[in-house]
Amino acid sequence: MRIGDLFNKFATPKRVPRLFALILGLFLIVGFLVPMALNPDQIYPRLEPQVQIEANDPAAPYDRGGEVLHSPGITDSQYPQYEPKLGWITSYVSPLAQFVMSISPYFGTSIYSSPGGLIDEILYYTRGFDTVLESSILMMAFIIASWLSINYTMNRKNEVENIQKDVKIAISESDRVANEISKSNQKAKRKQMRRES
Amino acid sequence: MAFGDIVLYINPFHLFMFVTMLVFTFLIAIGRTETQVEAELGTLDDKTKKVDLKEFKARRFLSIICGIATAGAMITGDLYNLTLFMSLIGILNIGIISSVKQVEVLDSVFQYGLIAMMCSLPLFGGAALILGACGTVSLLAIQSIKPTAMMIFGAILMFIGACGESGIAPFFASKAEMFRTPGSPFLLIVHLSSLFIIIRVIEVLLIICT
Repeated sequence: MRIGDLFNKFATPKRVPRLFALILGLFLIVGFLVPMALNPDQIYPRLEPQVQIEANDPAAPYDRGGEVLHSPGITDSQYPQYEPKLGWITSYVSPLAQFVMSISPYFGTSIYSSPGGLIDEILYYTRGFDTVLESSILMMAFIIASWLSINYTMNRKNEVENIQKDVKIAISESDRVANEISKSNQKAKRKQMRRES
Repeated sequence: MAFGDIVLYINPFHLFMFVTMLVFTFLIAIGRTETQVEAELGTLDDKTKKVDLKEFKARRFLSIICGIATAGAMITGDLYNLTLFMSLIGILNIGIISSVKQVEVLDSVFQYGLIAMMCSLPLFGGAALILGACGTVSLLAIQSIKPTAMMIFGAILMFIGACGESGIAPFFASKAEMFRTPGSPFLLIVHLSSLFIIIRVIEVLLIICT
């Protein structure tokens, strides 16, 4: 087989994602051989989750320490010169979340904490633009999906061209049927004439 | 100028690309779609392919957002921000072309969409590996860190992701099919954004690997 044919076969749109997935999978397996070491000097640190859970902290994995308006929490950001009020407020808790926190020690690991019950203020303060971008990606995905589901681009039934074609087909069909009917009428008439004569 | 930890990475080259992208976005915002005329076999009639007003509006909106996202990706100085811009561009590219009413084109957009979805794994995975290895995602801080094997692996993963999201050379097979549709200026932004993004990504990867 010539190499041009081989390339043409690879370039078929249907085969491209499959080939890509295969190559990506092989590359990820190579990743097991690469030495991985976590840098201990990370930005936005917090205590180990187990330490907080053992201390019976209801906001367990999300607690960044500190006391509101008294002492700043654990913070270590890249450019503290741009963030003069970093760490003074570490998170916001909604009234419902406060109630759950008062009756349960497992608030941080429950579902209340993620969708707006507890807002991690440090991340919003330092990386606010990221959260804007993330939600705009989601919004665009929803806009595209809803546009497609309303307009349904695969649906060809209501297009003018197709309607014209359908009308033409219907006209020729009805012409054919009318012809057949008139022919059989004539036959029947002839038969009757023969009988009468 | 900074948004908290997200700083801008500005030098004349980036500013030039940023301004060029904004000028193109403006031209696209005031532009109108072309109309393709096809000769038909067997008759003397021509067949025109028009983009109707609804489709035009949806595409123009998505194109403008795509242009702004590309312009933003040119000057951002934050690795995670760059990956977010890239995935935004990927999803907008699919959106701009998925409103076309031609079955072959929709089929190839589907394949491109599959690649773009798969690419979010190497893209964000690569960024996360680099964050783990460096402890930071700011490009200005990464500049002074010596590259380790983990960082280079992350950089290669990110490159694979960026290739797929912007649909350059090896994945062009599924994208070439899309350019046969009517609605020229909006399809140009798909092209332009992938060209600009790949230049920027290669520059960022050189920053990480050296």
